[in-house]
Amino acid sequence: MSNVVARRGVLATSVFAPHVLRAQGWPSQTIRLVVPYAPGGTTDLMARLVSQPLAERLGVAITIENRPGAGATVGSLAVAQAAPDGHTLLMSNIASHGIGPSLYPNIRYDAVRDFSHIALITENPSVFVANPRAGITSLAELAQRHRASSGGLDMATSGAGSSNHMLVVLMGRALGRDINHIPFRGAGPAMTAVIAGQVPLMSDSLPSAASHLRAGSVVGVAMSSAQRHPAFPAIPTFREQGHDIVGTGWFGLSGPAGMAASVVDHINREVRAILATAEQQARFAELGGTPGRLSAAEYTDYVRREVEYWAPVVRASGAQPD
Amino acid sequence: MELLLTNLAHGFGVALSFQNLTFALLGALIGTAIGVLPGIGPVATISLLLPITFGLPATTAIIMLAGIFYGAQYGGSTTAILLNLPGEVSSVVTTLEGYKMARNGRAGAALATAAIGSFFAGTVGTVLVAASGPLLTQVALSFGPADYFSLMLLGLIIASVLAQGSVVKAIGMVVFGVALGLVGTDVQTGQQRFTFGIPELSDGIGFVPVAMGMFGIAEIVLNLERPEARSVLTNKVGSLWLTKEEFRRATPAVLRGTVVGSFLGILPGGGASLAAFGSYMMERKMSKGRDQFGSGAIEGVAGPEAANNAAAQTSFIPLLTLGIPSNAVMALMVGALIIQGIQPGPRMVEAQPDLFWGLIASMWVGNLMLLVINLPMIGMWVKLLQVPYKYLYPAILVFCSIGVYSLNNNVFDVYMTVLFSVFGYMCNKLRLEAAPLLIGFVLGPMMEEHLRRAMLLSRGDVMVFLQRPISATMLAIGFIALALMLLPSLRKGKDKALAE
Repeated sequence: MSNVVARRGVLATSVFAPHVLRAQGWPSQTIRLVVPYAPGGTTDLMARLVSQPLAERLGVAITIENRPGAGATVGSLAVAQAAPDGHTLLMSNIASHGIGPSLYPNIRYDAVRDFSHIALITENPSVFVANPRAGITSLAELAQRHRASSGGLDMATSGAGSSNHMLVVLMGRALGRDINHIPFRGAGPAMTAVIAGQVPLMSDSLPSAASHLRAGSVVGVAMSSAQRHPAFPAIPTFREQGHDIVGTGWFGLSGPAGMAASVVDHINREVRAILATAEQQARFAELGGTPGRLSAAEYTDYVRREVEYWAPVVRASGAQPD
Repeated sequence: MELLLTNLAHGFGVALSFQNLTFALLGALIGTAIGVLPGIGPVATISLLLPITFGLPATTAIIMLAGIFYGAQYGGSTTAILLNLPGEVSSVVTTLEGYKMARNGRAGAALATAAIGSFFAGTVGTVLVAASGPLLTQVALSFGPADYFSLMLLGLIIASVLAQGSVVKAIGMVVFGVALGLVGTDVQTGQQRFTFGIPELSDGIGFVPVAMGMFGIAEIVLNLERPEARSVLTNKVGSLWLTKEEFRRATPAVLRGTVVGSFLGILPGGGASLAAFGSYMMERKMSKGRDQFGSGAIEGVAGPEAANNAAAQTSFIPLLTLGIPSNAVMALMVGALIIQGIQPGPRMVEAQPDLFWGLIASMWVGNLMLLVINLPMIGMWVKLLQVPYKYLYPAILVFCSIGVYSLNNNVFDVYMTVLFSVFGYMCNKLRLEAAPLLIGFVLGPMMEEHLRRAMLLSRGDVMVFLQRPISATMLAIGFIALALMLLPSLRKGKDKALAE
């Protein structure tokens, strides 16, 4: 039995370890990439998509460690407290580093100061989708139905406090009447309820809604990006439909505060080079994401602005866990 | 029908290629091994092994990952039966009668029943996926929140009927289990409940630490306390094969379990775990050997084992027809497909016929392989019981710790296991049963979620539970079950009162 455990360890590490000339000092050992979500989700997927070519370029193995919990803050805290030697990295994201700081007053890290933010990996919009039989194809129709029905419209999301939920709050404020928010445990069950017609609408992140939009099991109502998304040019934005709502989910690579600037820049360079390859561009487009192009300093600034942007929205939503 | 056969033939063509067979076998072997290791589940294993599938063709990769998944289902029953260690929700039920059978010297028969029952149910499940996947999806989609709630309420009512000793204690344990299940983040509002500022508790108490502590480790402590109990285990290995009588009793249980499991498996979310519980409850009430429940009834192994394997197959239906994963393992499969450049979704049948039909054929091939791997190994597993306990139990404890740690890569879960081991030991001393607690723990939070969602959607109108036909039927069955349980005891009470 112990053989099995040992073999698993070897398998996990030996997969990526091609012999490439290494930079002086770093990386000197396996890099641990902490994904603050359970395996199988969008964050996990993005981490795996990027870590494989990154391991090849850096010439060391990268092992993915899933540390889910508390809206991605458990895994983030673990990285904030790790040694800043460049061998422990984190998939930072909108939940743990954008919305979380306002959502959890007892949060034990500062989303900006306690991290070395390295590179933005991808941004993806959210999209309002509707069951095709609901007869809602635009925000105007949505607004009209919302006003006409006695109890207001129902809208599903992957969970309370998510960026998708925040968009429901913003939309309700814009319409002057709260939309009835129906949270689920994850996007899968929520999408099932929309396809089954139990809930007419859903606010979902584009990567998770993409295949359902393509298959026509749901119709797109509005896209939360500033411009129309190249993969779904038929779905108009909120702005085009007269509502100034823009909100994009994002994932990036970060490490503990105090990492050497040379290491940060090295990783940033490699990540951007990977994201620029045709293969990754195609993969991201299919998933509904836009590859990031920011420098480390720009990404740090990006995170700071996100924290400031979401604070008032979270307050308005009333979704404060404590 | 003809089309189905053509498609299946195509699928077998894909699944029986040398490469796909090899990886299906590899997956089944790895799955069995991790299933046997307590606590280490398919989710952790598949996520660790995902990188090696990057280099394989998509179909081969999925066939191997699927092999790990059902291999773990087979393997999980081994530790449940031999050591009272459930690694997953579905194998808790197997411990109830399976471990008792092992103590009676029928470990071999229990393992054989589990393997054969699983194979039969897996075969039926595979045929269902192939023949009526899309149709079954419609059934699953017709289940609304109110229907889920009533189904689970029915489950809880029957769980208290199921109690072996005092009904009052059982209800107390169910309620306490529900309360434990409510720890964590409120799904509707995001409020933290009973987390005491501990971030690890914000996602609730994990199932594995509770089950492993209360069943497995508490059992080890009790065994160490009673030297005679240990010798009973090691001396009585008994015949490996089923007696004629056992076979006659197990067969209808397997059939019933297959039906229950196939149906509950397609329900998105928690279907597979409901399946095993559901079948156990059914056997307890309906089987001929129901009076032997609690002392090692073979129906209590045959039914739930068939049910959980049938459910494991049918849980692929929502993934293959809707592109929606119904559990964590399926979510990982989606991830693996996307990394391979395939978007799972409703169009996968047309867009990827090789993958779709190849996977279905390989499900059956995988089940057959598992039967072939597992039956000859039963003798070996049973010999495990002859290892002196002083060597066996430290090894079990170490593997449990590794398994629990690997859930979230967090020591916190190990501490929780210790806590629940102590609690489980105390419960045993107080003659409080762990099974009702676990059922409440699993069903409680799901019930709350569906209840509140149903109420949110109906704007607070309770009538929704009676207006929906599925929900109303479930509630009616529950009411009748409750009445049937209460009437005899009421009458008995009255008789006693009259006698005095």
